[in-house]
Amino acid sequence: MPPKRKSPSSTKSRPEKLPDTDKRVLQPTLDLAQQIYTQLDKGDIPRMKLPLRTKQNIAFSPRDGVWRLGNQCGVRSARKLDGALMLLRTFWLVDFIEEMARDNKHSTLRELYYISEQWEEAKFHSENESNLLVEDLEVMCERMREDFRLRPEENGASVIGDLTITEINRKGQKKKINCRDDVGDGGYQLPANVEKEKISFVSHGAKFVLAIECGGMVDRLAENGFDEDQNALLVHLKGQPARSTRRFLKRLNEELKLPVVVFTDGDPWSFRIFASVAYGAIKTAHISHYLATPGAEFLGVTASDIENYQLPSDKLSDRDIQALKAELSDPRFNTEMWKSEIELMLQNGKKAEQQSLAKYGLNYVTEKYLPEKLTEMGVL
Amino acid sequence: MAEELASKQKAISIGEFFERNRQILGFDNPSRALLTTVKECVDNSADACEEAGILPDLLVEITKVSEERLKVVVEDNGPGIVRRQLPNVFGRLLYGSRFHSNRQARGQQGIGVSAAVLYAGLTTATPVHIVSKVEEDPAANVVDLFLDTQKNQARLVKEDVLAWDRPHGTRVELTLKARYQRGRQSPYDYLKGTAIVNPHARIVLVEPDGTRTTWERASPDLPPLAKEIPPHPHGLELGELDSMLRRSSSKTLLQFLTADLSGISRRGIQDVLQKGGFTGRERPDGFAGERVEQLLAALKDTPMATPSAECLSPIGPMLIKRGLKNVLGTLRPEFYSPPVSRPPKVHAGCPFVVEVGLVYGGDLPSDQSIQLLRFANRVPLLFQQGACAITQTVAEMDWHRYGLEQKSGAVPVGPVILLVHVASTKVPFTSEAKEAVAQTEDITREIELAVQAAARNMKLHLSRRTRRDQAMEKFTIIQKILPKMAEKASGIVDKPVPDLTRVITRIMDVVAVEARGSGEDPTKPSEKTLLTLTNYTSRNRPIELFLEVPLEAVKEGFSADPKPETLSTELGRVTFPLQRLSPNAKVTYTLTWPKPEKLEPDDVDVFVAGVDEAHLLGADPLPGDWDVRLPAALVEAAEDAQIAAARPAATAEGDEEVDYDAAEKKESFVDEE
Ligand SMILES: Nc1ncnc2c1ncn2[C@@H]1O[C@H](COP(=O)(O)OP(=O)(O)O)[C@@H](O)[C@H]1O
Ligand SMILES: [Mg+2]
Repeated sequence: MPPKRKSPSSTKSRPEKLPDTDKRVLQPTLDLAQQIYTQLDKGDIPRMKLPLRTKQNIAFSPRDGVWRLGNQCGVRSARKLDGALMLLRTFWLVDFIEEMARDNKHSTLRELYYISEQWEEAKFHSENESNLLVEDLEVMCERMREDFRLRPEENGASVIGDLTITEINRKGQKKKINCRDDVGDGGYQLPANVEKEKISFVSHGAKFVLAIECGGMVDRLAENGFDEDQNALLVHLKGQPARSTRRFLKRLNEELKLPVVVFTDGDPWSFRIFASVAYGAIKTAHISHYLATPGAEFLGVTASDIENYQLPSDKLSDRDIQALKAELSDPRFNTEMWKSEIELMLQNGKKAEQQSLAKYGLNYVTEKYLPEKLTEMGVL
Repeated sequence: MAEELASKQKAISIGEFFERNRQILGFDNPSRALLTTVKECVDNSADACEEAGILPDLLVEITKVSEERLKVVVEDNGPGIVRRQLPNVFGRLLYGSRFHSNRQARGQQGIGVSAAVLYAGLTTATPVHIVSKVEEDPAANVVDLFLDTQKNQARLVKEDVLAWDRPHGTRVELTLKARYQRGRQSPYDYLKGTAIVNPHARIVLVEPDGTRTTWERASPDLPPLAKEIPPHPHGLELGELDSMLRRSSSKTLLQFLTADLSGISRRGIQDVLQKGGFTGRERPDGFAGERVEQLLAALKDTPMATPSAECLSPIGPMLIKRGLKNVLGTLRPEFYSPPVSRPPKVHAGCPFVVEVGLVYGGDLPSDQSIQLLRFANRVPLLFQQGACAITQTVAEMDWHRYGLEQKSGAVPVGPVILLVHVASTKVPFTSEAKEAVAQTEDITREIELAVQAAARNMKLHLSRRTRRDQAMEKFTIIQKILPKMAEKASGIVDKPVPDLTRVITRIMDVVAVEARGSGEDPTKPSEKTLLTLTNYTSRNRPIELFLEVPLEAVKEGFSADPKPETLSTELGRVTFPLQRLSPNAKVTYTLTWPKPEKLEPDDVDVFVAGVDEAHLLGADPLPGDWDVRLPAALVEAAEDAQIAAARPAATAEGDEEVDYDAAEKKESFVDEE
């Protein structure tokens, strides 16, 4: 007879020994259980407060130079189906984390989503829901998801340029890698964990970091030898950058004192990419101080570039226009520079891709556009 | 010579008449020509069947002969046409029998089947092939003929008799230059529309690629036959009056006014005579010129009784619903609005009726304009949608208030099919093409009122649905989530699971009636229905349940457990004894249906006394017209509730606060990681 599987809902196993760190990490969830138990016992509808992760509730922190979570709270209540489900899921999630702690396991966010198949009614309807709950837990416990033994998919970006690092590989060995000479065309792939214990900087010959939205543009600059000619470290953002990419940029900036310049498409979504690199994303506002690079600067493509360089453009879609309007009420974009850029884009009704610079030939971006813009910014 | 010229003149006029009026006649392009041909034949078949009291069985078969030619066969089980009339019906333009008749008929909508015969002859030089049998004859007559454009009469090319395997009926075969297309304005759409508004017909369509579609008969009852009535004076035109006078068999004007016109009272007749300066003894056939005009003016100037609506044949609410269900059932609509049939009204002396049906949801697309099905005298209108008073009236209504999206001045957007039927002895059309109802105040007003009534029903359904969804949500919370949450939290703090009654009643705060069928799908009617009445409020409550069930069910032996206190066979009303329910307590009623297959999900109305509307779920408060003596306890409870409702609501927790999960959903975090 096969051994009987422990019912996933079983909570009787709680007194079992948990590693101390995990116990400490999860302490706030025990408090939550106590709070909800008391509410139920008194006949009150279960509820908890959580700081709102909305654009109305982020505040600039002068100390960190980034936008962090404000102190407005929302209520998660069992009065509503969504709230009730999230409360119940929180307990399931804590059970799961404890189970992993006991077995010394880790899981990906995606695995967590599938694990919830065992959670009956409480199973997640989408991966977005499970990711949000993990972030809620981060906020609640003031920890990072890695502390809960959860990690993202390997979606880190790639780095090309003269930077030498050491990475502790899967076998526990320290590997020394130069991100220009020791890598193939794809560059050096950032792992999910880019902390000091995993990656340390050895040496570099770079003057600045150029963070680029699209892979095609990274390839163009690499093929044109831009990294060597201008001593640039190219970092591929891959659209909205993953946490590890943002964290890595911050480390380059803080530890190696390299200026970070962001080069994206010229559209509302790219403005948000820049905001999440430089100011902090709303969704991760609780860890902005850890992820965002306050000194990062926006190079382009700007709305004025589209005009000045006469770039081939597309008409703004309704969604684009909505996004731009939303940015006008986003406190992070409340600066003279951004207001005029956003308004100009709305006024002209045009957006352009970074690769539209190819209109003037393949070398134009490296010989003309970037040198001009970088000089203007005082980087070159 | 003059004779020769005369016949030529005529030839030119018929051919020219057709050429000039191709568009109006509906033959301006090959696909429209096909539709018009099908339409003329099908309308004739349906008219003939109804007149003869026969349930129509129609076959339409379209086959490809060559690249540009199609053969159209229309066969019916109607009364047949006697041999002597065949050349007239098919071989003469403008030989209709209904053109002048004063009652609702489809034929008025077309020029007549002979136009199709003419078109077929002109484009393919092929005669029409007719097989027709009347019951009295032992065999069917077979005739092939052309419409002779010179003489406007039939030119027979073949004639025969045939032993036909049916008692009566007509088969018409035409070969014409035409193109077959499915989709809007196709024969398929036309027949589908016809099937909806003629649920008493069975229609089979065979398309050129062999696809066979059958619209089964959905009703065994023929629509009541529209009666022919004399014209109403207010609808008369000068020429019409003139020829009526001339052809009248009445001996005097007085007799003419009494017998040949409808709606004039004795006083009215005196008025007319006086106003026109007539004695009443004039001979009708002696009227001419100015005198006819005088008579008409006097008639129009005299108030009269509205014309009788007996000359109309509306579809009726029940059959509209059946027709829609029969044809649209595969779309699984979630809601059929009770159809609206307005009382007859009069426009320009002609009575008319507006009827509306509405279907919502199911597989209908919610991001497109609603589908508008327009009908005049049971005939689908497929062209000139924009010019039609039906479309314009719908577009001018404000649909936001009924829960549909709408760009101003346009037909609304939503998962809706809206059927509008205008029936009249003389539907006013915008043009001779008779594809768009003209904007006239009387008719537009009626369309608006009918559509509004249907839209209100839809709105009611939508708000019921929202309430039901919210209720479902709450049930899920208290039945599935809360107990688990309590178990988990208690496990973590290592204490026994607390009693959840108070939390449950706080979340729900309603008295709920849940209905469940005993069958496989609990939402479908089945032999037994379980009605569970639960007091999810924090007070002890006296509660009484009432039902209104279909009369048929009561007659056939409907029963319930616990036993009803009273059961009325006249009204289908059922009352139950008073129940006292403490918080979280419930009582279940088992209803047994003798013929569940006849039951519709919304056939049973559930009412509850003792609970105010705001705290009632899945039932409505008992309507005042029930006239039942409620027990004192219930009356008191109702008064208490009123007092409680009048008091300012105690600050409900969570009122001022931001709902974290709702805020999170709204924020959408575009693309952020
Ligand atoms: N399929 C049929 N069965 C019986 N009678 C028919 C049929 N088709 C036509 N008729 C007769 O021929 C007449 C003329 O038809 P038509 O020219 O189409 O004009 P309308 O339909 O306006 O009367 C009809 O009124 C009807 O009496
Ligand atoms: Mg006809």
